[in-house]
Amino acid sequence: MSSVSKEHEVNKNISRSKNTILEFEHVNFSYERSSPFIDGISFSINNGEFIGLLGANGSGKSTVLKLAGGILKASNGHINLWGKSIQSYKNKDRAKLLSYLPQILDMNIPFTVKELVSMGLYPYDIPPELTVNEALEMVGLGGKAESLITNLSGGERRRVYIAMTLLQGAGLVLLDEPLANLDIKYQIELLKLLKELQEKREIAVLMALHDINIALQFKKIILIKEGKVLSIGKPEVVLTEDLLKQAFDVEVEIRRHDSGGAYITY
Amino acid sequence: MKLKLIVMVIIAFVIFGVALFIGPKFINPFSINEIEREILFSIRLPRVIVSVLIGAALGASGAVLQGILRNPLADPYILGISSGAALTAVIGIISGLSFLGIVTIPVLAFIGALITGVFVGAMGWKRGGFWPERLLLAGVGLGFLFSAMLMLIMSISSDEGLRRATLWIFGDLSLADWSIIPYGFVFITAGFAIAMSRAKALNSLILGDELSHSLGFSPRKERFILFISVGLMTAASVSLGGMIGFIGLLVPHIGRFFVGSDNKSLIPFSAVAGGILLCISDLVAKSLLSPTELPAGIITAVIGAPYFLYLLRRKNVLSI
Repeated sequence: MSSVSKEHEVNKNISRSKNTILEFEHVNFSYERSSPFIDGISFSINNGEFIGLLGANGSGKSTVLKLAGGILKASNGHINLWGKSIQSYKNKDRAKLLSYLPQILDMNIPFTVKELVSMGLYPYDIPPELTVNEALEMVGLGGKAESLITNLSGGERRRVYIAMTLLQGAGLVLLDEPLANLDIKYQIELLKLLKELQEKREIAVLMALHDINIALQFKKIILIKEGKVLSIGKPEVVLTEDLLKQAFDVEVEIRRHDSGGAYITY
Repeated sequence: MKLKLIVMVIIAFVIFGVALFIGPKFINPFSINEIEREILFSIRLPRVIVSVLIGAALGASGAVLQGILRNPLADPYILGISSGAALTAVIGIISGLSFLGIVTIPVLAFIGALITGVFVGAMGWKRGGFWPERLLLAGVGLGFLFSAMLMLIMSISSDEGLRRATLWIFGDLSLADWSIIPYGFVFITAGFAIAMSRAKALNSLILGDELSHSLGFSPRKERFILFISVGLMTAASVSLGGMIGFIGLLVPHIGRFFVGSDNKSLIPFSAVAGGILLCISDLVAKSLLSPTELPAGIITAVIGAPYFLYLLRRKNVLSI
């Protein structure tokens, strides 16, 4: 790496750190009288970051996302969106800044793809620049506007909701296990698509996931266990055999290629 | 979408016209005598208006309820509101109450419906909001209880009271009278206006509470407002003409087929289509075995039940 580009990197990092979108400060949360389920979590998300939230089943990934989305309220600590408490926003104003996509997208009412995607415009009185058809093109469903959502495959359905999220135009997108229950082909396609969209539209993404190999694709990972942060940082730092053993309670071996790639063997 | 609605409204007016002039006795609109004028304005017109109001209320509230419960099989009567209305109305009919004249029974039914609605709402409320499953189970449970009480009362009542009560339960529009129309109109219009003003929120609720929240709504608040809308429309419709089955379940599905599932168009379409369907059903009900009148509720159920079974076989309509 030349010195110029290094300097460029440093500059970029400084300017980014000024743009903290979301901040968790010692956040606690518990469901109905039980002991804390989320236990003193702190992290921050900067403008344009693509972050994987990794942890085993029941580690609190979904709860962290719901707290980040303002759906659940922290019992203790602070969650700030653009420097202001997330609970202080009006629903509509918050919806312009962040959007949340749950893991399960069940649907019994036969909306057309177009009807569903256009709900992304609900927070706005004046629609933003993107149109429904453009959003559908972006997720590769240009010809499916009139299809019924109930007739689509799991992968297509997921992309329809992502198109809705794009139309919503928020700078922070929270995705709960968007790759779960998809074939490997769709997992790769969707991950590529999300990265591409994230770069093009400069949005920050926080994605919950449990697959370690997919986590290797991220530049920044938050590893959690039992509602606590184990480690935050680059894959080389977070995805160590020791930390993964703690998080998932299994022995894994990490193999790195000379080209820079890596994979996990069991 | 607009065009389809306009076409529907035109069809509706044609059918209202037909319903006015065709009946046990045909009335030629171009040569009306005194008696025919009396029949037209005192009997047929209020009846057509009542059938349209009830049908519209049931169609619209069915669409709203299927949305707030996220269940395409929901029917306004599933909330038990109609059973509550039936219980108070039948008590009134059998004990021969008439302290408010001709509107006594409708008023009793409305009171029963409102009390039941509040009760179901209270049962469905937990942690600052309505929970679809709780509402549904509370409504079904209460409905069973009220039906049992209704059976008990009917089983110990006199023949004449029993006949009138049975007619009322199956949906009897022959009691339609000008004096009750304004009340029905006010409550149904209010419920409809609330539903229309919250159509976007209703769409978002269908996606689930978390997505509704993400899109900038407060799902629990919206469900509460929409529950009031359904309660007003259902209570008013039951008090106007008894229990008329299947319109609330059937019409929204027809609507989804014609105008799609977006509630901004589905609610008005369901209202117009519900009005048309009940108007036709009532016309059939009073013409089929003329001069004997059948309760319109039987006709809507005879049309509705087979269609309902057909829907069950269609993947497009029900993804379950």
